[in-house]
Amino acid sequence: MKVIIAGDGEVGFYLAELLEKEYQDITLIDKQSEKLALAESKLGIATILGDSTSYKILNQAGVRDADLLIAVTSVESTNITTCLIGKKLGAKSTIARINNMEYLVDKNILDLRTLGIDELVSPESLAAREIKYLLKSPSLTEVFNLYKKDLYIMGVRVDDDAPIVNKSIAESAHLLTNGSFMIVAILRNNETLIPTGNLVILHGDLLYFLATDNGKEKVLDYVGKKRIQIKNLLVIGGSKTGKYIALNLSKFYNIKLIEKNYEKCNYLAKNIPNVQFVCGDGANVNLLEEEKISDYDAVISLTGNAETNIFSCLLAKDHGVKKTIAMVENIGLFEYSQRMGVDTLINKKMAAANFVFRHILKGKVLSKLYGINAIIQEFIIKKNSKISNKLIKEINFPKNAIISGVIRDGKGYISLGNFKLKANDTVFVFSLPQSTDEIKTFFE
Amino acid sequence: MNLIQNTKFDTFKMILRQIAGLLIILSYTMVLPLLVSLIYSEFYPAFGFLFSGIICYLFGFMLRKSIKTTIEPLNRHALIIAAVGWLSIAVMGALPFIIIAYATPAEVAQGFVPTFADYQSSLLYFRNPLHALFESMSGFTTTGLTMAVHEPSIGKGLLFYRSFSQWIGGAGFIVLALAVLNQSSGKVAFLLYGAESTGERLRPTIIDTARSIWKIYLGVTLFSFVYLVIGTYLILPDYSLTENIFDSINHAMTGQSTGGFSTLDDSIAGYNSKAMDMLYLLPMLLGAFSLPFYFRIIYEKEFKQFYKNLQTRSIIIACIFGGIILSVLLLRSGVTSEPFRVGIFQFISAITTTGWQTSDVHIWDAASVTFIVMGAMIVGGAAGATVGGIKIIRVLLIIKGLLWHINSFFSSENTIKIVKFNDKRLLPDEMNKELAATATFSFVYLLFVLISTFVTYYFMGAGFTITDALFESASAQGTVGLSCGITNPEMSPVLEVTYIIQMWAGRLEIIPILILFRAILLGTKPKVV
Repeated sequence: MKVIIAGDGEVGFYLAELLEKEYQDITLIDKQSEKLALAESKLGIATILGDSTSYKILNQAGVRDADLLIAVTSVESTNITTCLIGKKLGAKSTIARINNMEYLVDKNILDLRTLGIDELVSPESLAAREIKYLLKSPSLTEVFNLYKKDLYIMGVRVDDDAPIVNKSIAESAHLLTNGSFMIVAILRNNETLIPTGNLVILHGDLLYFLATDNGKEKVLDYVGKKRIQIKNLLVIGGSKTGKYIALNLSKFYNIKLIEKNYEKCNYLAKNIPNVQFVCGDGANVNLLEEEKISDYDAVISLTGNAETNIFSCLLAKDHGVKKTIAMVENIGLFEYSQRMGVDTLINKKMAAANFVFRHILKGKVLSKLYGINAIIQEFIIKKNSKISNKLIKEINFPKNAIISGVIRDGKGYISLGNFKLKANDTVFVFSLPQSTDEIKTFFE
Repeated sequence: MNLIQNTKFDTFKMILRQIAGLLIILSYTMVLPLLVSLIYSEFYPAFGFLFSGIICYLFGFMLRKSIKTTIEPLNRHALIIAAVGWLSIAVMGALPFIIIAYATPAEVAQGFVPTFADYQSSLLYFRNPLHALFESMSGFTTTGLTMAVHEPSIGKGLLFYRSFSQWIGGAGFIVLALAVLNQSSGKVAFLLYGAESTGERLRPTIIDTARSIWKIYLGVTLFSFVYLVIGTYLILPDYSLTENIFDSINHAMTGQSTGGFSTLDDSIAGYNSKAMDMLYLLPMLLGAFSLPFYFRIIYEKEFKQFYKNLQTRSIIIACIFGGIILSVLLLRSGVTSEPFRVGIFQFISAITTTGWQTSDVHIWDAASVTFIVMGAMIVGGAAGATVGGIKIIRVLLIIKGLLWHINSFFSSENTIKIVKFNDKRLLPDEMNKELAATATFSFVYLLFVLISTFVTYYFMGAGFTITDALFESASAQGTVGLSCGITNPEMSPVLEVTYIIQMWAGRLEIIPILILFRAILLGTKPKVV
């Protein structure tokens, strides 16, 4: 599969990194040679220096027989132009990164698909959507929609007083009732574990669950989390993501948004109803105290500066805010900031890359979760497969992998041991990277 | 030095040239009354209209021909043009009154007086040029104060001319000139349009906007006319049909322009019918709604504007509550036998600044008079309509500003204290700017009313009180036209001139008049004050 990526920014680089592992034929186009040099040396992929909206450059990148052209520069119009030209020059499929939500929402005015752009991705709105899910279930560190409205992957941190602490999974199996959720991975001290019956859950573990829609609440009971109702929201930073949140969530929460830039703050205040706007620095302790940060149920920090975001969230945590979410672009900061106490980290570029990644590799690797070293893969059970018509517990599946979730007739199911697999089922498998090849043999 | 002199003279010529255009338009407006006079076989008035029309036309035409200038008006010039233009229209528009008053022999004039009436024809009052100017100014500014004590006795042609002048003045002479002449560049048109009215741009070009305004205005007036003819016929079947049609044409025009001249001796009270009072509420209300509002309804089919449009909604609410409060005040004072009929009609007549009268305000108690002055005449109808007064939207803005000011003390220091007004979200800076302009205007407006009240107090006839003085001066300033009797042909010339200035200032929202005075007294050079 030949893939051309236009734009070697964080999204582009992260995508290239993900795809390169899948042995794809990747060409990266960017205007800055230093960036390309880095990508070349780190990932060993082909690079072309130039403007992706140029016919010459696109042809040079081999757009004629490209299966996919992904335009993810930071400039929306460049992305759209690149895709339109690329499609004309022969790219089979195109994906453009956009900022303007109108293109996604008002499809009845102009569906960009009809012009030749097959998929639109907006990192900001993906991040906003993730935050929306997190606010609905604030005890979760992560929520991630796996299949339609049926299957979700959720991360929850285990506290001291949880009923399952210091017990093996088998011991608390009676709590795993009616098959609406299951544990799929555990992150402990930066090490990813795939659950087995005798694995003991410790305080501080980050559990990853797969749950159906009504299983989401039950997961919280299982981990012993109190339900938190979020009403008052403090958003720091009027970035695009912040703007989407203010626009779309003011129906559900009382929102106050703090933005440093006076002009920007005024602009937002003029255009977004039912949200209180404060002009000031989100890293200013006095300001946050004056704005009564302790009165808020959740603080979401979305400034362009990861350190500011982490700091504001830690300050909020210190003032007793129940839920803190920080936007952190630098993946290297993830582990430490979570360990220091920020509840959830959002990385819009990774969200975008994952979105694109899922689009490309339909039926293969689905996604990677932040910070966790497990991969979710998707397989279809063939008619005469050795595992069809078998209960899951009868299959001798590798230790580092778990069958977690099945789609049958367009509906998602949680697959515990007594679940019988059938032909044509779509199966999600959670596994450590070293087992991926072994798993593939089960589905051939 | 020479250069400056030259430019100054050029500016002057440019202003004259613009005014020449207005005078030509004015001459056209004398054609219809001429025809009406001929229909009613009033040959002296017909001659009067013809003669004044020709004078106006020639004057305008000569001015236009003789002045060649290429410079275009600036913002301050536009305001000066509006001020001088309206004054010259009032002056030239007084010609038919004077000419007809002198041309018509006394016995012919007496022939206009209805049979069984024993008074002298009011036409004779217009032999005094000041009275003619007063009537003309009151007409074109849509005020409705009158020197024609007994209206029917001035002849049908002149009655029609009065109503027609209100109708033309209501939508605006400059708007009409822009719509008809179509010769100003877009920038100039915009300046002139802005100088005359608080209107907004409805179409991409101002010329098209002006035409839309006139179409809507004509349309609503036609509707009022049909409504009044049918209504009058149903309520008073015995009333002569020709009289009915004549009354309805005139009243539709003076209602839509919120002018308030009537063809009857006692205004709407002349019908002596409760049902007729109620019939006449609608034309007044229709006149008080802004023309852009009609535009949205008619052209853009935004029917939700009926309840969403802040001004329309506020006027309806104000009419209901104000009418009831005034009725209660009148009921308590016991000055009238039908407090609700009088209260509701007079309140709506005052707030829409129409000025049709069904009651003798002179006998009202001080509380009722003060209430109708403060609550209705000074407030006025919608900006963008033909009404006078401060305009309801400005009053609402000031109230909102007060609430905003108080509420902002409860927000933290760095909060952007946004304020919602008329479906718009205003930033503090924008709100302060709006508030400053509005408050300044309102203050100047009240100052005009106050000064005029004192002038009235010292020059009014015997038997009037200070509340009467307040009422009359607010009525002139707000181009309302309700009168408690101070305005009459025997009034002091000082007072008459004061009211003429007030009506003139009231129609143009004062600022252009102040700018004109500044230009006359201090020239057009910038100055630090």
